Amino acid sequence: MKTIKEIIGYREMIASLVRRDLRGRYKGSVLGFFWTFLNPLLQLSVYTIVFSKIMRNGIEDYYLFLFVALIPWMFFSTSVANGCGAVTTQAGMVKKIYFPRQILPIELVTSQFVNMLFSMLVVFLILILSGKGLSLKPLMFLPVIMLIEYFLALGMALLVSALTVYFRDLEYLMSVLILAWQFLTPVLYSIEMVPENMKTYFYINPMTSIIIAYRDILYYKRVPEMNTLILAVVVATVFMVLGWNVFSRLQKRFAEYL
Amino acid sequence: MKEENAIEVKDVSKSFIVFKDRGTTLKELLLFKNRREYAERKVLENISFEVKKGETVGLVGQNGCGKSTTLKLLTKIIYPDSGSIEVRGRVSSLLELGAGFHPDMTGRENIYINASIFGLKKKEIDKRLKTIIQFSELEDFIDNPVRTYSSGMYMRLAFAVAINVDADILLIDEILSVGDAGFRQKCYEKMQEIKEKGTTIVLVSHSTDQVEELCDRCYWINNGRIVMEGKPEEVDEAYYEYLEAERERIEEKERNAEIENQGSNQ
Repeated sequence: MKTIKEIIGYREMIASLVRRDLRGRYKGSVLGFFWTFLNPLLQLSVYTIVFSKIMRNGIEDYYLFLFVALIPWMFFSTSVANGCGAVTTQAGMVKKIYFPRQILPIELVTSQFVNMLFSMLVVFLILILSGKGLSLKPLMFLPVIMLIEYFLALGMALLVSALTVYFRDLEYLMSVLILAWQFLTPVLYSIEMVPENMKTYFYINPMTSIIIAYRDILYYKRVPEMNTLILAVVVATVFMVLGWNVFSRLQKRFAEYL
Repeated sequence: MKEENAIEVKDVSKSFIVFKDRGTTLKELLLFKNRREYAERKVLENISFEVKKGETVGLVGQNGCGKSTTLKLLTKIIYPDSGSIEVRGRVSSLLELGAGFHPDMTGRENIYINASIFGLKKKEIDKRLKTIIQFSELEDFIDNPVRTYSSGMYMRLAFAVAINVDADILLIDEILSVGDAGFRQKCYEKMQEIKEKGTTIVLVSHSTDQVEELCDRCYWINNGRIVMEGKPEEVDEAYYEYLEAERERIEEKERNAEIENQGSNQ
C-alpha cells in the first residue's frame, strides 16, 4: 500500500518518461511518429496476403478480422518483449538514484498503451471506411477490456523485468517465446478453428479470452460474453499479484546485480 | 526515532557478494556450477550514527572504505543486511547528475524529466523553473536540444536541477568539481544558502578542505567502521596523520622491495 502511494506521488516521473519515450522514439527518422501507424499496417498486409490470398481460410473480411486482434496483441507482445529490458537498460539510473523501481515497467507498459490508443484510431477509421462500421453498445466494453489487458501486460512486465536482472538470457528466450505465444493465441485464426480436445489448453493462455473479447467488440459487433470477461479479469489479477510480489522481492538487490 | 534527528543509523552491516567468475547465462549456470566461487566482502560493519535536523555532517575516508555505500544505503538504492536505517523527510541525492536526460530534447524539457525523477510534481517544477534556468546560466540555450550543449553546460544544467529540489535532507557525493571555477564558487555559495535554510546535509569527500568549511561534525570511516567522530578540524588532523603514516609505510615497503630486487640481481 505504501509503495502504491509513493508511486502515485511520482506520477510526474511516469508522465514525463512516457512523453520522452513517445517523442524521442522516432526522432531522426524521416517518417517520425508516423511509424507508430505504419508498423502495424505493414504487418497486417503481410499476414493478410499470406493467410487469405495464399492459404485461403475463408474468413470474411480477413484483414479486419485480423487487424482488430493484431493491434491488442502487438501491445501485449511489445510490452513483454521490451519489458525484459525495462530495468537492465536503465542500470545507470537504478544504481545512482532512488525512485520506486516499479516505475520502470509501469512507464514502459504505459507508453506502449498510449501507442495502442493511437493505433485504435486507425482501427476505427478502417472499420468505418470499409463499411463494416461500429456499434455503440459493444463499444462501451472496449475500455474495460483494454484496462484488463493493461494490467495483464503490466503484471508480465513486472515479472520479466525483475527476473532479467538476475538471468539475462530471459531477454533472448522471450523473443522466441513471444513468437510461439502469438501462434498459440487465436490472433491469426479464430478459436472455433481450434480442435475441440485442444480448446481447454487454449483457455489457460491468458491472452485467449482477451483477444476473443476484442474481436467480439470490434469485428462481430457484439457484447462479449460474461464468462470471457470474468476469465480475463481473473487471469489479469493473478499475473498482476504475481508480478508485483516477485518484483518487490527481487528489487532490493537490483543495484548490486546491475 | 528521536524527535531532533533527521537520520538514525543503528548497527548497520552490509556485505557485497563478489563473484570471481559469475555466470549469468543459462549455459554457465548449468554447466559450471562449481565454478561459481564467490567471496563475501564486508563493506560496512556495525555502523551507527545520528544526524540532527539542520546539521551538516561529513564522511571522510579513503577510497573503498564504505562511505559511498553508506550514502547509497541512506537513499535506499541498496538495503542493509542487518541493522536499521531511519530517515525523516524528503531526501535528494547528488549522486547522479542529469539522470534521464534525452539528448534530442530541449534543456527545458529535460529539466522536467530530471526533476520528476527526484520526485517533484509538475506544479513544483513549474515553480522552480525560472530559478533553475537562472542558476544554470543557460537562458539563451534553454530551448536548444541538450545534444548541442558542451559538457560543461550539460553539467551546469544538471547541477542546477539537483540543487534546486529543496529537499529536507541532501546527500552529496564528491560533486563540487562541476564546471569552471566561477560556477564552482556559485555552487558553493548555494550550498551555504541551503545549509542556512536548515536543510540537513550529509556529504562524502576525500578533499578535507570542503568538509572543514561546510560541516558541523565529521565521521571518519575506515575499513567499514567508524573510527572517529568529532569536529571537522580534529577528525581531519587525525585522518591526515593516518594517511601520512600509511604513505610512509607503503614507501618503506617499496624501498625494501627495491633493495631486495637489487640484491637478487647481483
